[in-house]
Amino acid sequence: MAKGSPIKKAEGPEYIRIEFDLPRRYNWSTGRYLGKVYAEAKENKKMVAPRCPKCKQLWARPPAPVCPKCKVDMGWDWVELPLTGTIFQYTYQVYPLWDPHEGERWSNPHPPAIILLDNGIYFRHCLEETDTKKLKEGMRVQAVWEEDYEKRGLGFLDILYFRTIEE
Amino acid sequence: MAERVAIVAAAQTKYHPNRADVSEEELAYEAIKQVLEETGLTLSDMESAITCCQDAYDGRTIASLSLQRVVGAHFGHELTVAEDGINAAYVAVSEVLSGHFETVLLVSHMKESQVEKSVIENCVFDAILMRQLGLDFTSAAALQARRYMDRYGITPEQCAKAVVRNRRNARNNPFAQEPMDVTVDDVIGSRILASPIRLLDTKPISDGACAMIMTTEEKAKKLTKKPVWIAGVSNCYETHYLGDRELADCDALVKAAKKAYSMAGINDPLSQIDVAEISTEYSYQEPLWLEGLGFCGRGEGGKLVDSRTLEMGGQLPVNPSGGVLPGNPNGVAGMARVAEAVLQLRGEAGAGQVEGAKVALAHGYTGICGQHQAVMILANM
Amino acid sequence: MAGRVAIVGVGQTRHTSRRDDVNLPEMVGEAVRAALADAQLSIKDIESFIFSNMESFEGLLLPDHGMITEVGAAGKPGLKVTGGGTTGSEAVGEACNLVSAGLFDITMVVSWQKHDCGDATAGISAAAVPIAAKGLVVGAVSEFAKQALSYINQSGATEEHAAMVRLKADRCACRNPYAHLRLGLKGLEDYLKSGYLVWPIRMLDFCPQSCGACVVVLASEERAKKIHKKPVWVVDFEVAHQEPFSAGSFGDPTGTETYSQDVAAERLYKRNGITDVRKQVDLAEIYEPSTWEEMSLYEHFHFCEKNEGWKLIEKGVTEIEGEFPVNPSGGVIASNPIGATPVIRIAEAALQIRGDAGEHQATRDVKTAIATALGGPNWTAMFLLKRSL
Repeated sequence: MAKGSPIKKAEGPEYIRIEFDLPRRYNWSTGRYLGKVYAEAKENKKMVAPRCPKCKQLWARPPAPVCPKCKVDMGWDWVELPLTGTIFQYTYQVYPLWDPHEGERWSNPHPPAIILLDNGIYFRHCLEETDTKKLKEGMRVQAVWEEDYEKRGLGFLDILYFRTIEE
Repeated sequence: MAERVAIVAAAQTKYHPNRADVSEEELAYEAIKQVLEETGLTLSDMESAITCCQDAYDGRTIASLSLQRVVGAHFGHELTVAEDGINAAYVAVSEVLSGHFETVLLVSHMKESQVEKSVIENCVFDAILMRQLGLDFTSAAALQARRYMDRYGITPEQCAKAVVRNRRNARNNPFAQEPMDVTVDDVIGSRILASPIRLLDTKPISDGACAMIMTTEEKAKKLTKKPVWIAGVSNCYETHYLGDRELADCDALVKAAKKAYSMAGINDPLSQIDVAEISTEYSYQEPLWLEGLGFCGRGEGGKLVDSRTLEMGGQLPVNPSGGVLPGNPNGVAGMARVAEAVLQLRGEAGAGQVEGAKVALAHGYTGICGQHQAVMILANM
Repeated sequence: MAGRVAIVGVGQTRHTSRRDDVNLPEMVGEAVRAALADAQLSIKDIESFIFSNMESFEGLLLPDHGMITEVGAAGKPGLKVTGGGTTGSEAVGEACNLVSAGLFDITMVVSWQKHDCGDATAGISAAAVPIAAKGLVVGAVSEFAKQALSYINQSGATEEHAAMVRLKADRCACRNPYAHLRLGLKGLEDYLKSGYLVWPIRMLDFCPQSCGACVVVLASEERAKKIHKKPVWVVDFEVAHQEPFSAGSFGDPTGTETYSQDVAAERLYKRNGITDVRKQVDLAEIYEPSTWEEMSLYEHFHFCEKNEGWKLIEKGVTEIEGEFPVNPSGGVIASNPIGATPVIRIAEAALQIRGDAGEHQATRDVKTAIATALGGPNWTAMFLLKRSL
């Protein structure tokens, strides 16, 4: 069992309990589009998004081979995203809930947020500031990269969080 | 059927053991792009999309989330069928006949390379009674193969002949993954996976996608000079626990075939069907499914495989594309059979063409030992 | 639709957090038997089956295969559909298509979810792009937390309103023998005592994970009238998926984007000549995973003007005795076996139209009802049901 998987105990009369472990491993491919995002993040510490040839909108997260609204081929026109912006909306977790990636209950101490980047694109990520009393919508933030090249390669998560900046 | 439903375009990706170069979405889009180009339609013209994928293989709750963009589902309708791809065609028929939608896009995709198949397949079996036996599709199929061969005297050589023919036919199929010239001895000499199933009795790991567009009769005539009509379609379930049914027979297939035949006005399948594309992941399934489809009597599948009937140029060529054995992913296999039947009926099957084919049969199955079976009859007139 | 389709039988299990007394097929079998009893049919009369379930929550592959024997589908045609929260609606939609296409006269939709086999929040978190959203999506809770923030900002609704929604749902649930959470909440103080999950969603703002099954039997016009005294006609249905909002999953904080609810509602209403929903429709069973979402859905389904959903709650318009009852069953906030929930909405709306909802029957006469479903991220399905054509 993944460490800390929810063990739901049966109530009532005595039940026989049999445990067995069956890890399901997956080998996901990023493919071309998401792969480009990963490559730019790892190699160049840049966040990029494809631009639809018809509506000119940027589809950052995740990128797609087809524009979701125009429904045409996305093509290969990549634009670098500015990594400063303002906090548009944020929330924070109070009660630890099960996370399938971790296999345990946890509360992400970094509040998940929607950041309005300086080019008008909304970007979902989390904030460095764990004290939610210090947070306010509209505060300026800046991306903080994982500086160690070896540790990068997680795509969007190569940005660790967004840090509040004084301006 | 009262009105007619047509397939106006069908496409497949070339099946490959590991498409690590694409995500699921991009793989499906490769097939979708082809049918869009062929018909000149765009994703905005699709009124409904039917996807065919399994959460467990994609490793994602709501597996169809990956496909929303490439099927153009924004403010549209999309439904996922959680059985083999041929059932997506079945659902499309009902969507068009109900009058709800005129143009339906279907896509089936699977990347077997991204999972450990046995582990995923183990999750079908009853958690309390069967899972810990470590069963997967291959070991369950071995049980069925053994029972079938013992009961009716089907021999490993006869099963091997099916492999020889399917792998050889695949040479004519540009989408085939592993066309091969093998002999009966090669098959019987290959290593045992789960007795009596040997390595060459089954298919390799495969990644691929298949897409189609289906429309009403009126629209079909505007979109293509060669519409392929669905003359009959049906499916059927069998009981789940292996001990509850006679594994040497396939009653679900018999029922599904009967219903599809009666819809299509077929009472003598062997003479009225010109070409058959059937899904066989294991060699013993060929004689067994052929019995279920009524091409011969019960227990006579072996004799049928021995004869020249199923060969190219025979009375009923089976799997001119090579079928599933040279490599087709689970879940896509049945829809690929429909796509191949479409090629046959349009006269576009190249070196694998069955001359003058007018009526074709496509078959797909899902689950343990074909617990769910589906049959489709297609015609070009 | 080509041929007309009616609901001639419904059955549910009592939804709970655990069902240790039955295994998965047995739990579903209970609902099947209940539906057959309601329709006064035998399993032999059912010609095909459509299954609805989100298999990732139980960690299964092909879960419909495992229950063929118990459900009585062996030797019969059928298939399973899967999807998000709208799975059940797709299943009923497909079953209606099969009947109106003339392929079958009587089909059965079997839907279920047994959440005690797994964890719904973890399952929903796994719906996020597997490699790109780790730690950012906490099941549906975080997404509805964002929706709540957007709604509060745009409409001015307060926690008092969210409390009223919950109290209404609980009052109804306490009158529904099948509902899961029947808490007997007394007032605002009970609501304020419940802790936050993901701010601003409190435990009481959000739906539970339930184990339950729901089955409906559908028949063609010809057979329906012979089977049941009170067939409920499935007049129309509409589905709209959508690309997630640029700044949210279920709510659009920018206030600029179009919701799939609006798209689906406009299409459905236009096709059926509905210009004033609260006058022409009598009741709605909507899929509201959170209190805030309920108020927002009132607006997007045109039960009221934009940003005024909370007013309907304040005025008691949507109470069980109200002018336009919404979720007299207690809704999703009281019971949520995800694969079955949309079917429960349809089944409950059908019971209301028949006048067979017992203690939770709406006070006003219900001739026309809407049943909706919500899936991720913000997909909508809507059904229009009527007592007579």
